[in-house]
Amino acid sequence: MAITDTLIPATDITDNQTVAVTLNGKKILICKANGDFYAVDNQCTHQRAELTGGRIRNCYLACPLHGVRFDLRTGKPIGELTRVPLKTYAIGLADNGNLKIEID
Amino acid sequence: MSELITVKQQGEARCEGLSYQDLLNEESIEVPAYLRENTNPFMGNDDLDVARWVGRDFHEQEKKKLWPKVWQMACREEDIPEVGDHHVYEIVDQSIIVTRTGETEFKAFINSCLHRGRILRDCDGHAEEFVCPFHGATWDINGNFKGIPCKWDFSHLDQKDMSLPQVKIGTWGGFIFINFDENCVPLEDYLSPLPEHFSRFPLHDYYKGAHVERVVNCNWKVGAEAFMESFHTLETHSEILTFTGDANSQYDTFGDHVSRSVTPMGVASPHLPEVTAEETMRDILELSGRMATDSAEGHEMPEGLTARTYVAETNREMFSDIIGEPLDDATQSELEDAILYMLFPNTQVWTGYHGNIVYRFLPNGDDHNSCIFETMILMRYPKGTKRPEPAMKNTLRPDQAFSEAPEIGGLGPVFDQDDSNMAAVQKGMIASKKGAVSLASYQESRIRHLHQTIDKYLNA
Repeated sequence: MAITDTLIPATDITDNQTVAVTLNGKKILICKANGDFYAVDNQCTHQRAELTGGRIRNCYLACPLHGVRFDLRTGKPIGELTRVPLKTYAIGLADNGNLKIEID
Repeated sequence: MSELITVKQQGEARCEGLSYQDLLNEESIEVPAYLRENTNPFMGNDDLDVARWVGRDFHEQEKKKLWPKVWQMACREEDIPEVGDHHVYEIVDQSIIVTRTGETEFKAFINSCLHRGRILRDCDGHAEEFVCPFHGATWDINGNFKGIPCKWDFSHLDQKDMSLPQVKIGTWGGFIFINFDENCVPLEDYLSPLPEHFSRFPLHDYYKGAHVERVVNCNWKVGAEAFMESFHTLETHSEILTFTGDANSQYDTFGDHVSRSVTPMGVASPHLPEVTAEETMRDILELSGRMATDSAEGHEMPEGLTARTYVAETNREMFSDIIGEPLDDATQSELEDAILYMLFPNTQVWTGYHGNIVYRFLPNGDDHNSCIFETMILMRYPKGTKRPEPAMKNTLRPDQAFSEAPEIGGLGPVFDQDDSNMAAVQKGMIASKKGAVSLASYQESRIRHLHQTIDKYLNA
C-alpha cells in the first residue's frame, strides 16, 4: 500500500541541492534540479554510499564516493561502476506547501 | 589580403556567376579583412587511396603518429564549471581526465591509476579527490598523491614519483584542448589564424545550447569530409538550393591546421537560375537550420529588397535582441552565410553572432569503420544576465535519426540526409575496385588539405 507523507516546505530546497530524510525507516534523498523536485533512495547502488551532498548537474546526481551519476528522472546510472538503477519515488506538492512523496 | 593570392591556386576554374567576393562588394558595411582572404594554394590533383579511410594500417598509423601529436578539442570550459568538475575525454584507446583546478585553471591527467592501472574516473562528474574505485589509491585534483590504504605494504613507492602524469592543456574560445606531445607547438601557434578570424565572435562568452551525438558507421574522416564542401548540396540537399549558393562557395586553406568554406546564403544556387527572391526568402525561413525564425509566416518581404538583405536584416534585429546589444558593424555575410572553419584534425566551427554550429568527429574507440559524430550549438544570452547552464549531451541510439533531436531544429533533417551518405561511402570505398577517390580540384580542396596535413604527421 502506498503511503503518502509530507516533508519539508518546498521553499526550503534550492536548485542543485539535496536534503536527506527518513520515512518509515527508509533513507530518501530529496533533490531539486532545473526547478523540479525528485526523490530517490539515499544509497548508491554501487557501494551503498550515502548520496547526500552529491553534486547535481542538469538532471544528474553524482555519488560523492566514486562519481557514479544517476539520472534523477529515471534513476538510471551512467558509467561502468554500476548498472543498477536508483529507486525513484513520486514527489509532489501538498496543500500546505510541503513536498509530499509516496512510498511503498 | 594574404600574399598567397599571388601564388598558383588550387584549381584555376571557378563557377560562373557571382563569387563570394562579389557579394562582399555589395555590402554597405565595411568588410573585415578576414572575409577578404581568398587563399587556396595549389596542392595537386592526384587520386587518394581508399586505404586512408578503410585500411586498418592507416588507422594504426593515425593511432601512433596523429592522435598523440595533435591539439584536440576535449570539451567546453562550461562543461566543468566548478573546481573539481571533470570531463573524461577518450580518443581511440586513450583516456584523459580534464579537470578544473582553479577559477581559470585546468589540468589534464592520464586516466589510469598508478597502482594497478584501473581508470580513475569512469565518467564525467565532480570530485574532491580522485579515489581509485579498485583499492582506494588517492590523488588530489592537482594530481598530487595522497596515499593508498595499507601504506605498510607500499614502502617501495616512497621513492617513486606518484604524481598523476599530465598532458598539455590549453583553451581558446571556451574550448579546452589537450595534446599528448610534450614537445608540441604552443596551442596559439597551432590555432592561427582562428583567433584573429573569430575576433568578432567571442565564443568563450557563448553557451552550449545543444549537444547531440551519435555513432555513424564510417571512418571519422568520412564524417568530417561530409561537412567540408558544399558541392554535395546539389544531390544530397536539393531542397535548400533555392537559398544556398552552393557552387559559388569559396574554399580557403590557412597553413596546415586551418581551412574554411564560405557558402553564401540567401542567394539561389547557380544551378537554379529561375528562382525568384520570394522563393528564396520563403525557403530559407522555413528550411535553414540556422535562421532566427523557422517559418515564413508573418514575414512580408518589402518591395525592392533582395532575399539576402531581408534575411540578414531580420537576423541582425533578432540576434541583437538576443544578445542585448546592437550589431551595427555586422556584415550581411556574417549574419547569414555558412562560414565554416576546420581546425585540424576533427573540429569544425561556424562563425556567427548566435547559433554557431560546432562539429566534432571522433574515432569510435579503436574501430576505424565507425566514428562518433557530435554537434553542438553555441548560443548567446543577454549581456549582463546569468550565463545559462550548458546543455547535457544527448546521445542518440545508432538507430535514431538526427531529426529525433528537437534541440538542433532544422539541422536534424539536413544531417539525416548527410547520414544517408556517410555509412554508404564507407561501404562503397571498401567495395571499390578503383581503390581510390578523385577529388574536385577546388570545391573539394579542403579534403585534400586535410589529407596532406595528415601525411605530414604520419611522415614526420
